[in-house]
Amino acid sequence: MEGLFRNILYQTKNTYRNKSYFFWVVLYPIVLAAFFYAAFNGMMDIELEDINVGIVEDNPISFILEEIDLLNVEKVREGEIEEKIENEEIDVFIDNDLNLLVKKSGIKQTIVKEIVEQIKQMVKLNRPMDSYDFSIDYTISKNQQANPMIIIFYSLIAMVSAYGVFSGIESVYYIQANLSNIGVRINATPLKKSNFLVAGIIVALVLNLISNFLLIIFIQYVLKLHLFHEIKYSTIFILLGNLFGVLLGVLIGVSNKLNPNTKTALGIIVLLFLSFLSGMMSPDIKIIIESKFPIISRINPINIITSNLYRINLLGNTRFVNEGMIILSIYCMVLVIISYFFLRRRTYDSI
Amino acid sequence: MIVEVRNLVKRYKELIALDHFNMEVEEGEILGLLGPNGCGKTTAINCILALLNYDKGEIQLFGKKMTPNSYEIKRQIGLVPQEVSVFENLTVRENVDYFCGLYVDDKNLRKRYVEEAIEFVGLKDYVKFYPKKLSGGLKRRLNIACGIAHKPKLIFLDEPTVAVDAQSRNFILNGIKRLNQEGSTIIYTTHYLEEAEMICKRIIIMDNGRNIVSGTKEELKEMITTTEKIVVGFLSIDDETASKMKKIPHVIDVERDGEDFVIKFENGFNNIANLLEFIKSNNLSYVKLYSQLPTLNDVFLELTGKELRD
Repeated sequence: MEGLFRNILYQTKNTYRNKSYFFWVVLYPIVLAAFFYAAFNGMMDIELEDINVGIVEDNPISFILEEIDLLNVEKVREGEIEEKIENEEIDVFIDNDLNLLVKKSGIKQTIVKEIVEQIKQMVKLNRPMDSYDFSIDYTISKNQQANPMIIIFYSLIAMVSAYGVFSGIESVYYIQANLSNIGVRINATPLKKSNFLVAGIIVALVLNLISNFLLIIFIQYVLKLHLFHEIKYSTIFILLGNLFGVLLGVLIGVSNKLNPNTKTALGIIVLLFLSFLSGMMSPDIKIIIESKFPIISRINPINIITSNLYRINLLGNTRFVNEGMIILSIYCMVLVIISYFFLRRRTYDSI
Repeated sequence: MIVEVRNLVKRYKELIALDHFNMEVEEGEILGLLGPNGCGKTTAINCILALLNYDKGEIQLFGKKMTPNSYEIKRQIGLVPQEVSVFENLTVRENVDYFCGLYVDDKNLRKRYVEEAIEFVGLKDYVKFYPKKLSGGLKRRLNIACGIAHKPKLIFLDEPTVAVDAQSRNFILNGIKRLNQEGSTIIYTTHYLEEAEMICKRIIIMDNGRNIVSGTKEELKEMITTTEKIVVGFLSIDDETASKMKKIPHVIDVERDGEDFVIKFENGFNNIANLLEFIKSNNLSYVKLYSQLPTLNDVFLELTGKELRD
């Protein structure tokens, strides 16, 4: 046990003193957050107003919609639906099959979509509508900067939570005799590889969580964007993101003989690409992927974290939380299993 | 025997890196593995330490088969790899303490060992320095300190003086002698002849993955026909006279470089007197004349047909 603590101590020192690690994991995300804020600040200053919803006279859920404070329900005739949407007199039209008709995507449309989805689910479950207060989930976001642009910040946090990838790559680098000189030395000592690796994973998780925490503090208190209302699930998703990142790093580190810089670049590319698909560069990308390639959206780990952080904190919707946690856990297990097959090798063909 | 290697064969695809390599090391000796770059010295060490797979052969350390899981054997071994292998973001003391701590659990004992190792390699004034702030020679010393701090019984030093200045080299070589005097058995790989001559009690000469010959320096030199080399430089000499030099008693070879000659003699005596007689009888004038005993390079040259540094 003492050996594990010594490894943790020295690996912590070796990691946090690494200037490039400090830049990429601590400074870069804060700079990026500040940059996003400067670029999109004006677009996020919209306070959420009531949502104008159009329905026809005999809409089957009109009585539920009318009970929700957030919604201004307007009954429109068939012939004027398109005109009212075009003129933005109504934000969303809900037809009798509970399909939505919108002019553009946005927070208002997303909220109505979530409400309708919940109503559909209640109907399927045969639960009485009057037992459910649909407004509770959504009104918490009323004073929130309520724009899809906020997705960028959730996506940024999701990406940064997976930045443990760098430490994962480094930990493996030090214990593989075929990858590094230190690996040769360490393999000649009585130290068990697993001790070093476990210590490395703990260090990576702790340091990365600290950097995530610093980023969130920066966003919360410097940029004054209040992204987190649901702490428990947010923490779980950030933790899973960290674990995923570190284990991805271990796999990238152990599975090939590329030099460490190339591996780090590979890690960055993978994370940036996944973050791009989950809307970090533009929320429109996320919307396009979700509508055109929903499966990609559903299995993209960064998107799982982004969407869940967005849903649970901004929309108060915890419906997809379990699915997200399960998928991320499966990713982690798969990464562990594959890495194990590379790591269990104890001697090498060449060094 | 502290180390026994029998018929070790290691292939890298088509290339045979070790070809029935044999080695025995007795407790308390400094064994030199001497050979040109790429002859298989490091591969042999990596196989012995169970870092590399090998195709055939047997390896025993301390009388037991060496495997990657032989942690008790590993506890008694120190390795100073060819490349400087330390953590760039740990200071000198932290690096030595980290590696020492992989062998020594007792805190107080470890503290003492770390201080002794730092003093041993002369890095006392640099304990708070990071490796990148050290010169090449000082880095090599740190590399050594990390490998010996735990006072191992058996130390592998893989070309520890490559690319270091003369001062650091002497410091390192003297340190190795001291380690040996303090009880460590040492396996020292090098392609520097002088180093092997200076510190090794016994030498294995390697080439193309094979141990060509082994023995003490004296034993190795006795194995070759050349027992003396005389270097002579003439003011001038014609080709006909030069060719007559081969007829001097016991001469086995004459190498010419301009007006300078290296004359090799086989077993015999009075070689200088015979050469002086030749000079006198041919009315030659010389500007230099001195005798050399054969070096390990001569041994290598005669056994392999090439210079050690080819």
